[in-house]
Amino acid sequence: MVQKRSAHLMQVGEELEPLELFVTPELNQQYLYAEEDFHPRYITGENGNEAWVHPGLLLNMSNYTRSPSFYLDPEYGSLHAGEETEFINPARVGKKVTITWKIAKTYLKRGRFYQEVDIHLVDEDGVPIMRRNLICTYTSVNIIRSVG
Amino acid sequence: MAMEKSEFTIGQEFTGKPKKVSWERLWTFSGGPFNNNEWPKKNLHTDVEAANNVGLERVAASGTQYQGYLIELLIEIFGEKWLSYGSMKIKFPAIVADGDSILSKVKVIAKEGNGNTVKHFLEVWCENQAGEKVLVGTAIA
Repeated sequence: MVQKRSAHLMQVGEELEPLELFVTPELNQQYLYAEEDFHPRYITGENGNEAWVHPGLLLNMSNYTRSPSFYLDPEYGSLHAGEETEFINPARVGKKVTITWKIAKTYLKRGRFYQEVDIHLVDEDGVPIMRRNLICTYTSVNIIRSVG
Repeated sequence: MAMEKSEFTIGQEFTGKPKKVSWERLWTFSGGPFNNNEWPKKNLHTDVEAANNVGLERVAASGTQYQGYLIELLIEIFGEKWLSYGSMKIKFPAIVADGDSILSKVKVIAKEGNGNTVKHFLEVWCENQAGEKVLVGTAIA
């Protein structure tokens, strides 16, 4: 079930609205500049392959803040504390990638609230691209919360 | 060009190119697509006021920005096939601010198997210009 409410209140099993991301050469090149990585595999393609999407783009655009339904109360900020990432296949420029998010775990650790979010990236042909288990926490001037 | 996997030895270390997290690159990475009317989108990665509002003294680069630096190094070492089988488990123990310079590092800590079927267990990290670790973890290649 897709809900739109502040991310820090979301509970295990809740999902954010999926994102359908169409990676254009222009968007890919924006990230190549940001990452200072202009390898030809991301521009013209190599070894007979089409150009690949830079992994930095995929990671950034699959952060849960990118979901169309992501919302966070204004006094909160979301911090990326860590993650486990599996790289399954490179994504191709010019193809659509669908990104899904599901809250997998919530807990308190050393007085701080954490969420783990399972993230799947699959391209328009059904090819799995990447799996992530994102660990996030929140910063605020007044975080008072218990795990629900 | 990537080396043959069997050539790596336990204890061997690799260092990536130094990368400066400039304002221009922060905005380009975290400000959203250039064709958005409101680019750069204001958030704790791109805007000092937005960072201050959530209790941060300065903007904080997205961890995925320098995770990308580390991936570049892993591909340089193990080849682009790493994007079809590699994995990593990482944490971000410190914030990267605008103007910081980041180095990615990889150390081989164990090996399993032989020849091209060998699996490498790696310690991975990124450190800033002060030598402080801003990303720590492990990877498999």
